[in-house]
Amino acid sequence: MNKAARPKPAGLWISKTVVRVLLLLWTLIVLYPVFWTFITSLKNNQQVMLGKPWDFPSVMHFENYANVWSRAHFGSYFMNSILVTAGSTILSLALASTTAYILARYSFKGRGVLYFIYIASMMIPTTLGLIPLFFLLNDMHLSNSLLGLTLVYSVGTIGILPLGIFFLVGFYKTLPKELEEAATIDGSSLSGIFLRIMLPLSSPGMITVGIMNALTVWNEYIMATVLINDPMKYTIPVGIAVMQGEMQYRTEWGPLFAGLSISMIPVIVMYVIYQRQITGGLTAGALKG
Amino acid sequence: MIKLNNKPKAGYAARRRLFIAGFLLPTFILFSIFTIYPLLRGLYLSFFDWSGGSETMNFIGFGNYKDLLDDEVIPGAIKNDYFLVFWKVILIMLFATFFAVSLTRLKLKEYGLYRVIFFFPNIISVSVIGVLWSFIYNPHLGFLNSFLSLFTQKSVDTNWLGDSHLAMWSLLPPSVWAGIGFYMLLIIASILGIPSSLYEAASMDGAGQWKQFTKITLPLIWEQFKTSIIHIVITTLNGSFIIVKLMTDGGPDNHTQVLGYYLYQMGFKQFHLSYGATIGVLILILSIITTLILQRLLRRDTIEM
Repeated sequence: MNKAARPKPAGLWISKTVVRVLLLLWTLIVLYPVFWTFITSLKNNQQVMLGKPWDFPSVMHFENYANVWSRAHFGSYFMNSILVTAGSTILSLALASTTAYILARYSFKGRGVLYFIYIASMMIPTTLGLIPLFFLLNDMHLSNSLLGLTLVYSVGTIGILPLGIFFLVGFYKTLPKELEEAATIDGSSLSGIFLRIMLPLSSPGMITVGIMNALTVWNEYIMATVLINDPMKYTIPVGIAVMQGEMQYRTEWGPLFAGLSISMIPVIVMYVIYQRQITGGLTAGALKG
Repeated sequence: MIKLNNKPKAGYAARRRLFIAGFLLPTFILFSIFTIYPLLRGLYLSFFDWSGGSETMNFIGFGNYKDLLDDEVIPGAIKNDYFLVFWKVILIMLFATFFAVSLTRLKLKEYGLYRVIFFFPNIISVSVIGVLWSFIYNPHLGFLNSFLSLFTQKSVDTNWLGDSHLAMWSLLPPSVWAGIGFYMLLIIASILGIPSSLYEAASMDGAGQWKQFTKITLPLIWEQFKTSIIHIVITTLNGSFIIVKLMTDGGPDNHTQVLGYYLYQMGFKQFHLSYGATIGVLILILSIITTLILQRLLRRDTIEM
């Protein structure tokens, strides 16, 4: 319809072509550095220093991955990242979904204020809390511990909890109330209604929030570097930054890039599987306010 | 909100209250401890002289704030913060809007694929981005100089991150690269919310793509546009120091120093803890002022339309 109504179809064709070229160019700019990370991760120092950056490795040095995994301890960083990500994703989902359910379905005094507090916290620069948070965890003997880091991620200033609440309140409000009403008449307890009816119904929303949280936590750097000093407790982002810092003493380009690749592979896998939830989840309601 | 039960049973109100409290309190208590308390504590600390330990905390009123005014690093850091804010807002919004409009309005078949690809940098860890781009900028081995050398007689060996004039500019591409996708998705969502009948009517009247953009798309996505700009400002003032920490360490000679990283250095390297907290308050004040000014400026634009 659009095309038929246009007076100058040739003009549209040209602008489409120009746009396509620009889109392809940006695709290249986005994807090439990632691709380049993978090819560099398979080179040895000599290939990196003497060859061109875009050269393919003449010999594939897969041992870079083995090196970085065991000798540079990326194996344990990986496990730490998995633990912290799983723990804080589950904990923040549990804490966000219960609050969001009440905020969406019950009226009580202070409801507006409570919702406002969670939303307003997202607009405050959290750097302000960085130093106090460090000493708080120190006082609680939770600094330098994966449990402490998990707590900070779940409910601390990085903000995945308020974002989860915000998103899930919106999601619960779209769910029909009839099932809950029927369950009440049947004599279900209030928490039973939540657990047996609302939780299963809200699983698409929970998955979206869970994935967004998991990505945030998996990639988080600043809290982890402030709170964790013990090299055996590093998460992957901290391990990468520390390894880069050590590059001035011993250069190991291949293993460093293998480390970057190890960090990205789970993210890419998640993204390929859940891309609709990830891109759709953001557009469904986040940051409309 | 809804009456789940029409006949009030004995004790129902009490059970309901207990249920609400039981669902709200654990979250709120933990949130208060780990989010609200640190933020308030940061504000409180800025009025003390404190370098760790419990005995040595002295109230000094606005002493830290006076030091802030005399600190020679602060004006440069503020300038660099706003350099990043300014260019990130311009470049990210320009690219994000262009991509969003192209993908939605030109009805390309590849729409879904581009959407997925362009968002990809947003899901990579900032530490990966920092290391990756440091290596792209590496004077001898990096991609950028090798690429530029293809077009020049002698090989380019620009030290992008080590040159005091280039370093700030060099921090922009990674920040923009990593930011566009998110805002593109937000703008796409609001464009898709515009009724297509408006566009159909406009093209019947012979309005071209550009006219459709300025007369229909832009006015109707303006709220989202405004929110996105303010979000870029806040996240930049709050978080741009991470890329600084990873790529330049504030150097060369404080030329890429930003407030957030100065806070980090004061707090965790030099243990001027209360001074660090004061810098945090400064960041908060600047964010609030900038947000208010932008709200005012961008609102005027909508009225003019």
